[in-house]
Amino acid sequence: MWPYLFVLPAVVAMGFGFVFPLVSVVRNSLYAGTFYQIQYVGLGNFRALVDDDVFVHSLTNNLRLLLTVPVMTVLALLIAVVLHDGVRAWRVHRSAVFLPYILPAAGIGLAFGALLQFNGALNQALRVLHLGFLAQDWLGSPRLAIWSVGGVVVWQQLGFGVVVFLAALLSLPNEVVEAARVDGASWWQIQTQVQIPQLRSTIEFFVVTEAITVLSWVFTYVYVVTGGGPANSSSVMEFYIWRNGFAQGSVGLANAAAVVVLVLAAVLIVVYLRLRRAPENPGGVL
Amino acid sequence: MFGQGSRRTAGIAIAAAVAVAAAGCTASSPSGGGGASGGAGNAEKANLTYWYWGESDAPGANNWMKARIADYQKLHPGVKIKLVPQSTDTLIGAFTTAAQTKSGPDIATQWATIPVLSQAWSGAVAPVSDYVPENQRSQWIGTQENTDKGKLYAVPLYVIGVPLAYNKALFAKANITDPPRTFDDLLGDCRKLKAAGVTPIGMGNKDGYFGAWFFSNFGKQNLDSTEELKKAIIGKADITDPKYTGFYEPMHQLKSNGCLNDDIASLTLDQGMAKFGSGQAAMAWGTDGIVNGWAQKLGADKVGITRTPKWGTGKLADVYNTTQSSSAFITSWSQNKKAAAQFLLFLHEPKNLKSWYEATGIFPADKQFQPSSIKDDLGRQMWDLDSSDGAVWLENYLPPSVDGDGNLAAGQVITSGGSVAEAVDTFRKAVEKWRSQNPVEVKNYTAWAAQ
Amino acid sequence: MWRQVLLIAVTIAALAPLSFMLLTSLKTPQDYAEHPLGLPSSPTLSNYVSALTEVPTLRWAVNSLAVTVVAVLVSSTIAALAAYAVAFGRFRGRSIVLSSAIGFIMVPPVVLLLPMFVVMVNLHLVNRLWSVMLFYSCLLVPFAMFFLVNFFQSVPRELIEASVMDGAGPLRTLRSVVLPLSRPALVTIAVVNAVWAWNELLVALVFLQDESQRTLMAGLTLLQGRYVSNQPLVLSVAVLSIVPVAVFYLFTQRSFVRGLTAGMGK
Repeated sequence: MWPYLFVLPAVVAMGFGFVFPLVSVVRNSLYAGTFYQIQYVGLGNFRALVDDDVFVHSLTNNLRLLLTVPVMTVLALLIAVVLHDGVRAWRVHRSAVFLPYILPAAGIGLAFGALLQFNGALNQALRVLHLGFLAQDWLGSPRLAIWSVGGVVVWQQLGFGVVVFLAALLSLPNEVVEAARVDGASWWQIQTQVQIPQLRSTIEFFVVTEAITVLSWVFTYVYVVTGGGPANSSSVMEFYIWRNGFAQGSVGLANAAAVVVLVLAAVLIVVYLRLRRAPENPGGVL
Repeated sequence: MFGQGSRRTAGIAIAAAVAVAAAGCTASSPSGGGGASGGAGNAEKANLTYWYWGESDAPGANNWMKARIADYQKLHPGVKIKLVPQSTDTLIGAFTTAAQTKSGPDIATQWATIPVLSQAWSGAVAPVSDYVPENQRSQWIGTQENTDKGKLYAVPLYVIGVPLAYNKALFAKANITDPPRTFDDLLGDCRKLKAAGVTPIGMGNKDGYFGAWFFSNFGKQNLDSTEELKKAIIGKADITDPKYTGFYEPMHQLKSNGCLNDDIASLTLDQGMAKFGSGQAAMAWGTDGIVNGWAQKLGADKVGITRTPKWGTGKLADVYNTTQSSSAFITSWSQNKKAAAQFLLFLHEPKNLKSWYEATGIFPADKQFQPSSIKDDLGRQMWDLDSSDGAVWLENYLPPSVDGDGNLAAGQVITSGGSVAEAVDTFRKAVEKWRSQNPVEVKNYTAWAAQ
Repeated sequence: MWRQVLLIAVTIAALAPLSFMLLTSLKTPQDYAEHPLGLPSSPTLSNYVSALTEVPTLRWAVNSLAVTVVAVLVSSTIAALAAYAVAFGRFRGRSIVLSSAIGFIMVPPVVLLLPMFVVMVNLHLVNRLWSVMLFYSCLLVPFAMFFLVNFFQSVPRELIEASVMDGAGPLRTLRSVVLPLSRPALVTIAVVNAVWAWNELLVALVFLQDESQRTLMAGLTLLQGRYVSNQPLVLSVAVLSIVPVAVFYLFTQRSFVRGLTAGMGK
């Protein structure tokens, strides 16, 4: 009896906070019209999404952001491996690299919004270093805006990867590495053929987590750094949902877009679940 | 700041989520409803909730409104009013969502014309003309912006103009004596200013508002009346015709001739306009309130205002750009409609009109306002312009998604270096998207356009 | 060696934007307009003074703190109870509850937001901090539950059995046996969830519109419109918003790392 009571608050919380909205969103996505004339439109909203350039572009932007995941992964691996080698003051470096990860994206975003202006600090720095030709309109160019957002994402997420990989490296037994070293393997060979392969599941975990992140947890970056602009060129699906649902009042479209995000996230979540492997417990003591 | 200045999009609020049904759960209970019964409510005892927006247009508005509420509650002890300031970004969406559940405020704010009327078409608005007789609202300015089928849906509280401000000192430096009257003048002045090392125009378009204002200032200039635009929106005329979207050409010319600040695409409207305020740019468009601020900062003798230079050939090229921007209306589910109307009427009492002007520097939307209250030269110029006939703010006539995905986005195409053809195409796609997705709205808009 | 160079470069890249924020916040607007890069020519704290007196920064911070504390306390309590049941109890639906929790960890709030907003309007909670507290409490449960289940399962069974044999009910056992042993885990979920709640933007933005009701993050975004021409002021408020987290982090690093690396495969 007692387990049911203990678990009840959590079930209520998750039911209210997750199940109910998820069901609502799916249901609402099939309806459109004003509230005096609600119509069942079946897949009409979804067809409208496909016809909407802005939605398609938002979706492809999320996919573009996926390209930052390999970049993050490789960089994080490299840094973790170097830290693991026991360089002087490695803890300081680890703390520094991890710090951006826990800082509020809203605050950081404001700083980048200022830094990346056409006449802002970054471009000024480039001009001072006689690299002025590299100075771009990071926020004002439709081609570049989404990559600027991607840059901020990488800057923040890198620390997470470093910490995760480092922790995994620290848990590896030393003997294999020692043996390889004794055999005369080069540093590079040791990394690529001995250490990193042992991190495979950790790498998988990180890649999937970051994929989910850039797919559905980047609203703040877009909202604060570029506002989705210029001309919706840096809009992502979360931003599209927020804009259509809360700013423009096109609720049917927003719900349909939410379903799309959900489906994509669900695929990745299932993968993530498999990787995390829910702990087993054949039964209780009580 | 001017409504559109900080707002995302204006537009037809739409689409029901059957969240209502799904969320069905709690029966929606309209807020307010003191001891009153029935829809109209008892004017003596009421709890009102007022979703208010205005601070962005008129800094000082929130405090002024709170003070007026305090005054009113003293005069009417049975009435309690709760003020809930709204945010610009979600002004439309938050109300639309509330409207679906038929619960929320008694009095709400939306931007004039389409944002108000679309809520009215959805049944969320109780026309204020049902509760305030004609003789009591005859002095209100701008009521044509919210009238449909003979009913007035919302109350105007203030009017805002958008003049072109210029820095007399910087003009003198470039040997320019008069502000530009035509677009060619403007281009000429740009050249002279650039030669003198001055940034001609300082604006920001990262949030799309420079483009939105440009639409209202220049886009109307080839039209003879707003009816023509409505035709193009509903598809009876081709939106890509230069009559409607030809203004992207002058916008492009400003960009390609270097008249605009080079970082216009990565600065928001406020950031860009600040260049004028700090003397770094010679010209900028601003709302009455913002221009007042500039005059204080730079010195009233240095700041001049003028109409937007003439570019087009339509009748609307000669009218000024004014609007009530945001309007207050009574919701259809309110249990205290009469009490709400009484309060809105109270805001139009002459002494309140005066205190509004003194608090915000923005003109109240009422002919009872005495221009003698205006102490400074600049203010008098603005009042003359604002109260001139036939003023129109074209952006009000666009459905929200057309405004956001069309108007704002297309302007950004130009300031980011794109071509006129691309901009026009962006606008066209937004209009077509609206038409294909909102059959009910299109029907209502068409009926309204046909009047 | 190249390794040092790499690390130094990475550290600089990580800290540069932060130092930009800090330096800018110490400049006057004039100074910043003329020299966006570089050290302040005459450093001043006036922006911070304005940040605390002209901008409702303190009010926002208090709101954020209130929301964070309530959400973390409520969600942790709910999670602890549920985790105990999952770890030590036997009941139908056990694995569904656990799998759901794990799955829900990664569901993006934006998907849940539209129906939630409608609910909040119905409950008349829009623009009240309660709305955010309520929703956050629900959102934080899955991670807390998952983490605690993991940890509880490492508690030696004998201790539980001993407690039961002493006649203690499940609540007593949880309180006097399991929780004291779980301090590191509890600290971890508190830390991770607190940082999440403090940093959250989207939900706060939608539920809290009134300026005085905003959390610090939602308030920050207001600054983009209002004071944007005064970049140093805006960034000083931004600095104030990240300092608590940065300080918190310095004291709780280990818990944080533990939380993030929980339950990963090797």
